[in-house]
Amino acid sequence: MFEVLSDVIQYYMQNFSYISQEFFRHFLMAAYGVLFAAIVAIPLGITIARFGRLSNWGIQLANIIQTIPHLAMLSIFMIAMGLGANTVVVALFFYSILPIVKNTYTGIVNVDQVLLDSGKAMGMTKGQLLRMVEIPLALSVIMAGLRNALVIAIGIVAIGAFFGAGGLGDIIIRGTNVTDGTAIILAGAIPTALMAIITDLIMGTLEKLLHPVKSVKDDKENVDHAAPA
Amino acid sequence: MLTKKIRHRCLAALLGVSMISGCSLPGLGGGGGDESVTIGTQDTSESQIIGHMLRIMIERNTDADVEIINNLGTSIVVHQAMMNGDINISSTRYTGTDIAGALNEEPIMDPDEALDHLMEEFDDRFDQTWFPSYGFDNTYAFTIREDLAEEEGIENVSDLEAMADTVEVGVDNNWLTREGDGYPAFQEHYGFEFDHITPMQIGLVYDALASGNMDVVLAYTSDGRIAAYDLFLLEDDQQFFPPYDTSAVATNDVLEANPGVEEAIRQLEGQISTEDMQVLNYEADAELSEPATVAENFLEENNYFE
Repeated sequence: MFEVLSDVIQYYMQNFSYISQEFFRHFLMAAYGVLFAAIVAIPLGITIARFGRLSNWGIQLANIIQTIPHLAMLSIFMIAMGLGANTVVVALFFYSILPIVKNTYTGIVNVDQVLLDSGKAMGMTKGQLLRMVEIPLALSVIMAGLRNALVIAIGIVAIGAFFGAGGLGDIIIRGTNVTDGTAIILAGAIPTALMAIITDLIMGTLEKLLHPVKSVKDDKENVDHAAPA
Repeated sequence: MLTKKIRHRCLAALLGVSMISGCSLPGLGGGGGDESVTIGTQDTSESQIIGHMLRIMIERNTDADVEIINNLGTSIVVHQAMMNGDINISSTRYTGTDIAGALNEEPIMDPDEALDHLMEEFDDRFDQTWFPSYGFDNTYAFTIREDLAEEEGIENVSDLEAMADTVEVGVDNNWLTREGDGYPAFQEHYGFEFDHITPMQIGLVYDALASGNMDVVLAYTSDGRIAAYDLFLLEDDQQFFPPYDTSAVATNDVLEANPGVEEAIRQLEGQISTEDMQVLNYEADAELSEPATVAENFLEENNYFE
């Protein structure tokens, strides 16, 4: 056990620049996939929240995409797009849609009707309601969706190494090809796991910061104060 | 308000399209096309070490963005990837493998003749340049433990016939079935077959042999573990295995679109001996250095062959 650990440390010392390069690349691929998905999925989530009838089927479709095994999805895109990082980014795009759409939908739908009505009473347009009431209140829930998607994406990128995308998965695969590759496998797996955990923590903190509970309380207080007067 | 919305939508659509059409994303590089240089390597350390050497040499010589696509399974997969445009340089191609594989022809036993033939045919048929050898070959050789070789007095492959029904033989997965220089042709050429033959991942055969699980394995001559484990290469006395000199292959398109790439590849010509390659492979396979690190160190030691 100690021997393996010291091997892993030796590995990091010998290959530090390579590891950091692949670490960055790994994260970048995951981030691109989620980012592009967010551009599509957040508006989509808002749209299906508006038109209740669409919601079932939109989320159902995203659910179906989610059930395709990672290896199969990547293989399908490989046939269409060839090898390389782009293939993995596109696959991540599709996997990230569900968590983001679902959370955006949930966040928007759960905005208190009272707040919407008061917004309307103040003469807000639909766009203003969305920008100034719904999105700020749903932001922490949307953030939770992004967090979920990003953590999943980091795991999928590791498989992407089979499709020529590089990243930390490359190191793991090399470890399996080399005799006595335990140390190399760990050297690839540990930073992958760490990346997922750290991303989760950072996004979790962001989510808390964006949580509207505090401002909702303020609103309530204002309402309470306003009532007697 | 409305125009803003439309503008946003256009932006989103543009982003989506640029992604799907296979343009390169900042920081990820590659994406095919003639301008980007994409090197394909197989899943062996050797292939990846040489791939990184090519990358470093090309980056020093040109402004091109070089991407490496690792873990292509076999030389056939590499060839397909070259034809599809997924990659435009392959790091390690072996004369014997590609005469049987890509060209689908009978093996040529003379190394120089084989190389000339490949250079000509690849240019004609595939519009690709087959470069002169790096200086090492990685041929197959039947390998046994040195102590067993001494005990039984085995020196060449023909000596194995006497013990063909008792020895445990471990061979590369794809050798068992492949045409030209695979197992079926071997049986015909040497006139005997092994009773106990096990296909396995090539990386495992050296340890399987050293630990005694196997008695004879089919090994690659450039593997570092041959010297490290005291293994003995049997002489191919009936000249069954064709030469496997190692070269780079590049599409003519990428060479034309990126002046300087050809020169960079040619700087490695004849510079890496089989013994060098054994040492480099050992560093990657047993001493925990990444192929990228091994390549960088080797080139630095040799002053980038300038």
